[in-house]
Amino acid sequence: MAALLQILSYGVFSGALYGLVALGLSLVFGVMNYLNVAHGALIMLASYTVLWTCYYLRFDPFLSLILVVPVFFVIGWVLFLGLFQRLLALPETEKLKNSLLISFGILLICSNGATMLWTADERAVATSYTGKVIDLLGVRLPYIGLATVLLAIIVVLGVHLFLTRTYFGKAIRGVSQDYEAASWMGINTRRVCLASFAIGVALAGFPGVVIALQTFNPIVSFDLTNKALIVLILAGVGSLRGVLFGGLLLGVVEAASVFFVGVAYREVVGLLLFVLVLMFRPQGLGGRKA
Amino acid sequence: MLEVKDVDVTYGDIQALWGVSFNVRKGEMVALVGSNGAGKSTVLRTLSGVQKPRKGTITVEGIRSDTVEPHKVVELGVSLVPEGRRLFRDMTILENLELGGYIGRARRVKAEHLEWVFQMFPVLKQRTHQLAGTLSGGEQQMLAIARGLMSDPKLLLVDELSLGLAPIIVKNIYNTLKEINKSRNVTILVVEQNVRLALEVGDRGYVIENGRITMEGSGKELLASEAIKSAYLAVG
Amino acid sequence: MIIAPLLVRSEYLLNLLILVCLYATLSHSWNILGGYCGQISLGHATFFGAGALTFRYLWLGGVSYYLALPAGALASLILASAIGFPSFKMKGHYFSIGTLALAMIALITVQNLLPGVSFITEACLKEYSLLTIYYLAFGVGVLTVVAVYALSRSKLGLALVSVREDEDAAEAIGINTFKYKVVAMSISTVIAGFAGGIFAFYCGTYYHYAPFELGWSFDPLLIAFIGGAGTVVGPVVGAVVFVLLKELFAASLGQVNVLIFGIVFIITVLFLPKGLVGIAGIIRKPKKTSAVAQER
Repeated sequence: MAALLQILSYGVFSGALYGLVALGLSLVFGVMNYLNVAHGALIMLASYTVLWTCYYLRFDPFLSLILVVPVFFVIGWVLFLGLFQRLLALPETEKLKNSLLISFGILLICSNGATMLWTADERAVATSYTGKVIDLLGVRLPYIGLATVLLAIIVVLGVHLFLTRTYFGKAIRGVSQDYEAASWMGINTRRVCLASFAIGVALAGFPGVVIALQTFNPIVSFDLTNKALIVLILAGVGSLRGVLFGGLLLGVVEAASVFFVGVAYREVVGLLLFVLVLMFRPQGLGGRKA
Repeated sequence: MLEVKDVDVTYGDIQALWGVSFNVRKGEMVALVGSNGAGKSTVLRTLSGVQKPRKGTITVEGIRSDTVEPHKVVELGVSLVPEGRRLFRDMTILENLELGGYIGRARRVKAEHLEWVFQMFPVLKQRTHQLAGTLSGGEQQMLAIARGLMSDPKLLLVDELSLGLAPIIVKNIYNTLKEINKSRNVTILVVEQNVRLALEVGDRGYVIENGRITMEGSGKELLASEAIKSAYLAVG
Repeated sequence: MIIAPLLVRSEYLLNLLILVCLYATLSHSWNILGGYCGQISLGHATFFGAGALTFRYLWLGGVSYYLALPAGALASLILASAIGFPSFKMKGHYFSIGTLALAMIALITVQNLLPGVSFITEACLKEYSLLTIYYLAFGVGVLTVVAVYALSRSKLGLALVSVREDEDAAEAIGINTFKYKVVAMSISTVIAGFAGGIFAFYCGTYYHYAPFELGWSFDPLLIAFIGGAGTVVGPVVGAVVFVLLKELFAASLGQVNVLIFGIVFIITVLFLPKGLVGIAGIIRKPKKTSAVAQER
């Protein structure tokens, strides 16, 4: 029993991470129907940024967010202006297809570029609390895992408040529901898309920190993109809470499959669930229709 | 205050409007009528800025609006109530209204405008936190018009408001529009398939057929004309 | 090309030519489904790997290579009917990410079931001749190009393109889009299976899961796109450039050729929808055909 609880707790911790991983992707997809498969690579780059920040500035990894998030906001801003803005004029299916292809190119460029610059060696940021756990009723809860869950809650809450309490946040929601109608409200839809994309990339900073505390190398780009896509589909489009729950679902499913099927096929169960959802309920388990 | 001169609009290789010219004077309520596919919605889409004309000019109080992005057209004082309402269905009535009043100068008068639209459409006041997608057809149309008014417009464009609504609701809404037009001096241009209704309500009217303006006159004149009667009013 | 091995004694060049044929074949396999039929698969490695696995097993087991090769292609087709055809239940971009997921499932499964290295047996080593491999690869490559050419001129090809251009419209005029997608995938996976067999025939020793790796899904996509998706010559041109770049940067860390291809890929998507092959067309008649210039 304790073993099951232990595994489930790991499921929650990785689930919280998966939620954070998918958040940026979900926002961008929801607002402008761009599928940014480079999101995993951006998270990987964020992890490296955290690494170097901690190394040179002696920051605590969570503190480095102050630097990383704005930096990646700018990166997203530039990426959008340079590559993705011109896709806004295309019809919906072309928009999606082209955004998928372009971001695919970026994914390859980033992962290979990172390998060239920093080698495929595994890295990690070690802190004073790495490996420390709280023992609760026989279940070991790592500090970092708890911090991840806390971070996920804070970030999702923050984004939620932004989207519901600010004019710009409401404009973002408006644009994601009806691009044209939003322009008739006097909303500069192009700028909303630009800001949303930049925010989406900036959100890569949060999972970036968590990944930095585990071992990582450039190859995680593909894994992370994969996880983000799975959670995106599980959650459904346009649902923020769905992203968190989708992440938790994936995390728990993976953890449970470790318990029942063994470590080797941990990912396969999640992937199978993913494929099934894609086939029979692509609009996701929560959220509105795509 | 609105001048449309010799406007051509094409969708790719297909031309939808041919040399369209008309005007709307300040404080008027003008109707643009015609049958399905005549080009009425194209006219409004072009006026709102999402469609750019291939030729011709559109000016609002002397300022060119055809060369300008849609959100800037709203700032010039032109507000569109779209065909099919196009409400933000997953947002509440209040949120829809707030987005209607998104532009700077509208935000400053938000409280006052909210009070005004709630006065015009009391049913909206009772349900401010209800999701727009759950409202009835008539309520949605009222919300769409209210939302259009929140941007403090000088010119309100209303596209096919009668579609899908019961006649008595349509009549009520047109009466409210008339009141808005008279009491707050908001210039209104309505586009309608229901020719009789639109011409009864409007001060002046234009008839559009196959992308061309074919007739103009006061509401009464047009209603009395033989051409209109036989083509649109199923009389004679 | 046929007499090339006679003119050129260099084994090194022969290796390159084999790779070109291999990549051209695999890229065309992707091209049929993705370029002509518009179903962008991100998981073609699955079928490539299935062909490789089957060929390797049979060949090392004593079956002669000219029987093992079509067997590999058949295995690929069987796999396609099991997971490929049902995957058409996913439309558009869902299909793309779904095929990626399937490819990952295949990769992980093979990594777990066959974690080791596939060593070439003594008997097969005696048989091993670069020349034979080259002619086989070349033969398969030529047949593939001929097949794609025939496809592009046929009514079948027209049907595939109509599915690509507007699936709903195609359905509306009576084209059974599912049937044609299945046909496209069948041809595609058979060719991928052949390519996999060539790979298994050519590579001395490799990890069993190597042909299932993501790179084998991504590279043909890049090559076909950059060369010119939906064309006959495109994937061949792309394959040549790809292999050349790979050799040029063989000594560097990471895959510089993939990085460069990534950049060229993005440029292609934005400005050259017809790939390198289309550049000739643009020079001849300068009409804006880029993806972005199309009007709503």
